[in-house]
Amino acid sequence: MSSIYFIAFPLLFGFATPLLGKLGKNGIAYVSTLMQVALFVLALSLLFSTNWHVEVISIAPPLGISFVLNKASLFFVTLFTLMMMLFSFYYLGLRKTDPYANEGKFFILINMLLAAAIGLVLSSDIFNIYVFFEIAGVSAYILSAYKKTPKALEAGLKYLITGMMASVFLLLAITMIYIHLGSLNLAVLSQTFSTLPYNLKVLISLFLLIGFGFKVEIFPLNFWVTDVYEGSSSLVNALFSSIVVKSYLFVFFHILYLFMPASDFSTFLIYLGAVSMLVAEIVALKQTNLKRVFAYSSLGQIGFIFAVMASENVYALTAAFFIILAHSVAKMMVFLSITSIQREHKSVEIATLKELNSPFITLMMILAMLSLLGIPLLAGFVGKFLALKDFAVSGEFVILGVIVIASLIESIYYFKIAGNLFSKGEKREKLRLTLIQKAVFITLALLLLLVGTAPFFFSGFINDAAKVMLDSSIYINTLMGVIK
Amino acid sequence: MIETFLSYLNQNSTITAMVNIGSMVLFFIGLFGLLTHRHILRIFISISIMEIAIFLFFIGSTFNKAFTAPIVEEGYTNIAVMNDPIPHALILTAIVIGMAVFALGVSFAIEYHKLTSRTDINEMNEMGES
Repeated sequence: MSSIYFIAFPLLFGFATPLLGKLGKNGIAYVSTLMQVALFVLALSLLFSTNWHVEVISIAPPLGISFVLNKASLFFVTLFTLMMMLFSFYYLGLRKTDPYANEGKFFILINMLLAAAIGLVLSSDIFNIYVFFEIAGVSAYILSAYKKTPKALEAGLKYLITGMMASVFLLLAITMIYIHLGSLNLAVLSQTFSTLPYNLKVLISLFLLIGFGFKVEIFPLNFWVTDVYEGSSSLVNALFSSIVVKSYLFVFFHILYLFMPASDFSTFLIYLGAVSMLVAEIVALKQTNLKRVFAYSSLGQIGFIFAVMASENVYALTAAFFIILAHSVAKMMVFLSITSIQREHKSVEIATLKELNSPFITLMMILAMLSLLGIPLLAGFVGKFLALKDFAVSGEFVILGVIVIASLIESIYYFKIAGNLFSKGEKREKLRLTLIQKAVFITLALLLLLVGTAPFFFSGFINDAAKVMLDSSIYINTLMGVIK
Repeated sequence: MIETFLSYLNQNSTITAMVNIGSMVLFFIGLFGLLTHRHILRIFISISIMEIAIFLFFIGSTFNKAFTAPIVEEGYTNIAVMNDPIPHALILTAIVIGMAVFALGVSFAIEYHKLTSRTDINEMNEMGES
């Protein structure tokens, strides 16, 4: 029954908030963090337990809800709970000096976001996916408009309009799937989807691509992303970049592998991802705002992950999982550093980095950027190396070239930022971090170094996860075994 | 004359065709509104019209006139001749979600208008390349 806890606890927390407020001023913050630690420990214990097997929870089959916790979804659940836990610890340090107004709401929203992201990964029912899609969306819209400044509200409005468009197209796809196939269960659908006529398949997959394309920030549909990143606070951006996008990416490719394994569609998606990466990196060059630069860098990395995941083989998917891990950790470090800088300097222009007086933050940002570039001994290298090797083996030299060129462009603006970090000039007062914030940064940095220097600790599990995610017959058997 | 016309209208295939074509027209009215209007509330209304078109399409194309309502009570226990209740349940959920997101959007728009007195999305340019 453990997979239900991952969704139920964060959701229950929201309903219990009025009661928790009576515990005192810090009650909500501490209970929320404690719950996230408990969820992470639970995920970790599942990760390390030897007699663990695939878990399926079904309520009133065959029409009811079912959640599947296999190795692939466990990887994402562990990643999300870890990231959210570290985020909460960082915020505990931050709130001593500068808490958010109306803090109780903030904790409800981040826990809703966690529940929805995990729900997206676990649920095996396409309408449930729509519901979690909307819960994640609504909490993300409110989080991005949280500060209620004109910029934040504009970001929230832009996010909300694109999110509404996405949900319209996703609902249209679900409608057509139900009308023609008479089921919503992913296992049943993956067996019957190939019986549809060709035109209908193209239409449904196009609607699914538009619906998820807005959310996974793929090239023609990602015009809104940088504005949202700039308008919302950099604290929240850390969540968007390391949790929300990753859950949508997982769901999109999960559905793709189940519905249309090894089709022509995936070649199109590989090119879409590569183009997305190249365009984002080129546009990032002329940005002067740190948040926008890293928003474009996120878009580039997401395009890269998209291209790698669309290759549909075990080696590429293993590489994609490594990139996702490295990117989540690195972007969490970058955006938390930017939050600290913004509190001190009240500005996020790249030029303000010249005045930064904090060797610790400088070191953290340099480590994160080197990892994003894919420098050996850091986590980013493993995934990038495996992915490029796989593209070379399968003879996709055009994609390989595009990715290498995009990475070169990426390195230009990272060096621009690094140059500003190291330049000599008038420095401000020393930037103060609390002990708990330093501990969060050091944990993230150690994780980057550990994955980079000893990927063999992780590769066994990640390889298994990639196999489970790619092989639709395993998924169908586990789910149908329960239903029948 | 009118009798035949009414019986033609009452056929299952006619109802399905009307619902399908009608919802498609409604969808494109919404899309047209979305593309031509720049007022933020009109954009929300246009997207809501598109959503409603999908709800109508879903209910209409799974509805069969010959079948009874999906309610089990005395005298009506034959599940085989009942309409499928799942689309109704799904659409109810979707209506609630759509309404909630719409309300959230309107509240954002009101707050934004209070601060900046802007309603046109073309004028929303607080951010961007400076």
